[in-house]
Amino acid sequence: MSIFFLLLQQELLLTAIIFVLLFVKLSTKQWNSQTVLSFVNILLVVNLAAGFFFKEKGTLFGDMFQTNDLLRFEKNILNLGTLLISLQAYNWLLKHKHAIEFYLLMLSTLLGMFFMLSSSNLLMFYVGLELASIPLAALANFDLDKKRSSEAAMKYIMSSAFASGLLLFGISLIYGMVGSVNFTDIAVAASENPLFLFGFILLIAGFGFKISAVPFHLWTADVYEGAPVAVTSYLSVISKGSMLFVMTSVLSTVFANLLFQWYNIVAVLAVLSMIVGNLFAIRQQNIKRFLAFSSISQVGFILIGMSGANIESHSSVVYFVLVYLFSNLAAFAVINVISEASGKENIDDYKGLYKTNPALTWVLAIALFSLAGIPPTAGFFGKFFLLLGGASKGNYLLIIVAALNMVISLYYYLRIIKAMFMDANETPVEKLAISWSPKISMAVCMAGIVVTGIISGAYEYIYSLLK
Amino acid sequence: MGAASLIVLILAAIAFSAGAILIAKVVTKATKNKQKAEPYESGIPTRGPSWVQFNVGYYLFALLFLIFDVELIFLYPWAVAAKKVGLLALVEIIIFFFILFMGFLYAHKKGALKWK
Amino acid sequence: MSDIPISHILFVSTALFFIGMYGLFTRRNMITMLMAIELILNSVNINFVVFNKYLYPDKLDGIFFTIFIVTIAAAEAAVAIAIIINLYRSHKSIDVEDATDMKY
Repeated sequence: MSIFFLLLQQELLLTAIIFVLLFVKLSTKQWNSQTVLSFVNILLVVNLAAGFFFKEKGTLFGDMFQTNDLLRFEKNILNLGTLLISLQAYNWLLKHKHAIEFYLLMLSTLLGMFFMLSSSNLLMFYVGLELASIPLAALANFDLDKKRSSEAAMKYIMSSAFASGLLLFGISLIYGMVGSVNFTDIAVAASENPLFLFGFILLIAGFGFKISAVPFHLWTADVYEGAPVAVTSYLSVISKGSMLFVMTSVLSTVFANLLFQWYNIVAVLAVLSMIVGNLFAIRQQNIKRFLAFSSISQVGFILIGMSGANIESHSSVVYFVLVYLFSNLAAFAVINVISEASGKENIDDYKGLYKTNPALTWVLAIALFSLAGIPPTAGFFGKFFLLLGGASKGNYLLIIVAALNMVISLYYYLRIIKAMFMDANETPVEKLAISWSPKISMAVCMAGIVVTGIISGAYEYIYSLLK
Repeated sequence: MGAASLIVLILAAIAFSAGAILIAKVVTKATKNKQKAEPYESGIPTRGPSWVQFNVGYYLFALLFLIFDVELIFLYPWAVAAKKVGLLALVEIIIFFFILFMGFLYAHKKGALKWK
Repeated sequence: MSDIPISHILFVSTALFFIGMYGLFTRRNMITMLMAIELILNSVNINFVVFNKYLYPDKLDGIFFTIFIVTIAAAEAAVAIAIIINLYRSHKSIDVEDATDMKY
């Protein structure tokens, strides 16, 4: 019985937090929102810290649920990201009258992602996926009186429902061919049977929607632009990261027999994502939209790493998601502070930011350097390992395309840095006082960018977890 | 018997109904006028727009009903397995209903069950 | 029951899937689009039940999957309708063509 609690520790703790918050909401006493938010953040710190103390691995619920060191580490990454986003959203939620509901929905999606990560059965995977995506649509609508927010939510729920329809049709065909939805049974029975392949392709299409790889990316920019900044960062880092973890492990373990097929699919998706993401990112004016397309091109790079299909490439994907989390959240922290204080979200508004807010400018600049992959930031090492992982297949054409795309991406990242440092602006963002919570979040992100890059232990640790 | 008779039956049905319409069209003289195109409502002219909006409160109740109604589907497989699993099954269904009940309490607290 | 070959039922479910997809892409009313998505999910349900009944009758994996799909589809529809109501409040329309504040 005790092993049950130890294996489910992260999920149970998260559920407990959700229920505590629900009780707070239901209690007749009217809580001060500052107290509630500090309380929630303390709970999230406890949640993150507790994840590091347990090492048990095994399966539960008749092989439906599994956990091991790597999954625990991935869940800790997601916990860390959620805590950082919660800190960034502090000022926004202070004024919002539904702050507790925000956390209820966000932690429910996190719980769904945990179950999705730990699934060893397509049923569990599907339930986790839907738990992770349905509340996110409600979250995208969280600026209740803004037109764009509800539009973004509508686009998200429609496309995610369609994507899960495709995914389910694929799963049903796979079930029809195999007779089981267990990952181990599917791995044994995977073959080049046409119906199975059709189901498999639909499954990849479903995955592609969730990670917004290119032919399936059309919802991304609109949803990112319309949703509140905190939700956008959650979508682009946590939701996408968890899906990438699952996709990597599912493709390399369950569909190992179909390596040739999915290698080609993933390579095409990678090239398209990089090129389209980069080309559209160049012409964006809104910085959230810009980061949406930049994240699409980052997914392209991750897919290149994923296509390697060995332990090195798997650990490079996990490592890059960690690095991407720090870099992207640092950028979103700055955007959140500026958007909260002045409502400005256009790239032109960032001109001359250095004159008024040098600290924020440096944070955003380092984050963008890391996203562009310039040494010595962590982004460089992340991309280096990804390309190394992808190169193990010997397809150097793919690597050349990726390297060219890195150069293109450098152009548009530097465009923002130039705007901030060099361009003059008659009405720049005024000098902002940053409160403690975004400060902590930015400090952690900066430390993360530097430390995960310089100390090679991070990659080696992930590698040792996979062995 | 079998498929052939079914096909004959379907064809006969189509021919009969189509034939009746065709004959009516050929024999009668059709006139078109404005009064004929009006919506017919007990012989009295319609008043106001016929597209009436329902109160949004109906949707709230319908949504709540839908969720709690559909969740009960899980009781069927539970009932089949409950005897075999024993006490654990009871604990599990109590947890299940506890979660549903919390959702219900939340809806109640938010005033979603009051008619506005 | 066993008189009907499995291919007939699979034909129905595949047709339903593509009807749903067609409806989703051509209809501009959000409620109708939601109904199209329900069609897709129901075609999947038919698939699961048929595969379970005809090919693997000794285990109940497919039926359980169907139960979960039905409940999750209900939850999804509830959230979607709530969002559509909210969209109607801000846009005064549930036509997708009117919800185009953001474009490339």
